[in-house]
Amino acid sequence: MTPIRKFEKPLGMRDSFPLINEKKEQIRDIGRQFFQLRGFDFIKTPTVEYYETVGKASAITDSALFKLVDRQGETLVLRPDMTTPIVRVATSKLMKEKIPLRLAYFANVFRAQESEGGRPAEFEQMGVELIGDESVYADAEMIITSSDFVQELGIDVYRITVGHAGLMQSILAKYTNSEEQVKKLQKFLLNKNMVGFEDTVRTYGLSSEIEKNLIEFIDKASNLQMIQELSPFIDESDQRQVDMFTYLSDLSRLLGSAGLTSKVTYDLTLTSEMNYYTGMLFEVFASGSGFAIGNGGRYDGLLQEFNSDVGATGFGMRVDRLLEVITPKTIKASHTVIFFDDTNYLKAIKESEILRAKGIRTTLQYINSVRDQQAFQGNFTEVAWLKEGKGIDE
Amino acid sequence: MSELTIAMPKGRIFEEAYVLLQKAGFQLPEDLEESRKLIVEAPNEKIRFILAKPMDVPVYVEHGVADIGIAGKDVLLEQKRSVHELLDLRISQCYIATAGLPNTVMNDIAPRVATKYPEIASGFYKEKGEQVEIIGLNGSIELAPMIGLADRIVDIVSTGRTLRENGLVEYERIVDVTSRLIANPVSYRLKSERIRDMVKRLKESMD
Repeated sequence: MTPIRKFEKPLGMRDSFPLINEKKEQIRDIGRQFFQLRGFDFIKTPTVEYYETVGKASAITDSALFKLVDRQGETLVLRPDMTTPIVRVATSKLMKEKIPLRLAYFANVFRAQESEGGRPAEFEQMGVELIGDESVYADAEMIITSSDFVQELGIDVYRITVGHAGLMQSILAKYTNSEEQVKKLQKFLLNKNMVGFEDTVRTYGLSSEIEKNLIEFIDKASNLQMIQELSPFIDESDQRQVDMFTYLSDLSRLLGSAGLTSKVTYDLTLTSEMNYYTGMLFEVFASGSGFAIGNGGRYDGLLQEFNSDVGATGFGMRVDRLLEVITPKTIKASHTVIFFDDTNYLKAIKESEILRAKGIRTTLQYINSVRDQQAFQGNFTEVAWLKEGKGIDE
Repeated sequence: MSELTIAMPKGRIFEEAYVLLQKAGFQLPEDLEESRKLIVEAPNEKIRFILAKPMDVPVYVEHGVADIGIAGKDVLLEQKRSVHELLDLRISQCYIATAGLPNTVMNDIAPRVATKYPEIASGFYKEKGEQVEIIGLNGSIELAPMIGLADRIVDIVSTGRTLRENGLVEYERIVDVTSRLIANPVSYRLKSERIRDMVKRLKESMD
């Protein structure tokens, strides 16, 4: 390996220069107002957590965790997601005070990169969790809130894809012969490997009728405008399956009445590496980013890990990817610089106070410290001089 | 209709895939003379081809600068990128295999395997329960056993001629390889109509 140079950062770590940072703060401001208005309370949790608790419960693969060791020899992790820490706080404390609980966060999370650039190892996420509500209305609230938030940010071209982890599994189980086969097929779906899926189905020795139906089902189930198109594939004798299908139909009705029909597609093959998603899950896509800008879903399974049997649902948006998608507002705010010399210091302070009182962004700069005056001046919209033999001059 | 950007591997696969698309009814320019252009436009269909190294196609697609692409299964297995694998185009068929000098066994203490597919190779030997040392090479892998750099190689085999001519024999067949149609997850959603239409037409013309 080449020796580390002074300017280098660890793999995947990024600086936010003022312009980007400003944009991020804007998103944060919009989000703060937006989520608060919808009844969510913002929360912060520690950057560092125990590996035994949050590290293990989080669905992020072990190799992507940043690990460190504390003085007692315990392994710590930099939080790889926000959902798990929030569930930790909620189950151990907050839930006792209020339930259902609506929490929101804006926080940086850490996921180590193996070797390649192009992806950040630390990035901000903004999202909400609704803990202690098992109803379909809670899930609908999450999808609608995410959609409204995307619109609030001024993103017009976007799509939300909704799936259901349990229903997919249940239907697959009907078509195949063993749990092992279901697991294998689900893995192909997770990797979105349709070729592997079909090839593997063909090795299972299913009757050609079932084989054909299964492949047809997958093709159909991966892109549904209307959830009802799925009903021929539902086994009426399986109450659990019928219930899940009814649930998804109800959800689709709620989303429809919220005016989201044209934004939402259903894809039962949608699965997540976040294996704690147990029911409905969704992803948000927008033109401008090659990756999903946000995702969410119901994660009752995660609460069980923290010995709680209530349900929870939520979503998170990737701030770094939102930045790629949002068209920058290029309003250059006015910014004045006052140059002063040794004799005009007091005058300069007074002048700056007047300007700042008017709400004008003002920088005070001792003239002799500036090396390249032309270049420095270029950063400002107004320039004022307080110099010997010269009054205030703009 | 939105524009579709397709990342294609340069060379033979591009030509074969181009014919496949034409057979599926896509109006592509006929005179695709040998040029060094890296971007080829098909304005009738609002399609833009970008010509890349085979190994790089999934990179373009994963990052979304290409909506879809054509990549060998070997590359997909090696890089494990998050792209959708939509269709087996059944072109440029070959397979990945282990090979070495005839009648040899692997070194017991430190078996060495030369390959340009370190992921596939180490995955294969792990499955077999053997720990091997991988030596990464970029080409002419057959040299490695001949000059004593490695006991085995893991490489792509199409006819087996290169192996034979260099006095090597195939030991184990690891996986079959063909070219696949892959898609970026976001494009797959936002341009789903166009992409699904293409998959359907390709499927029909192949049967």
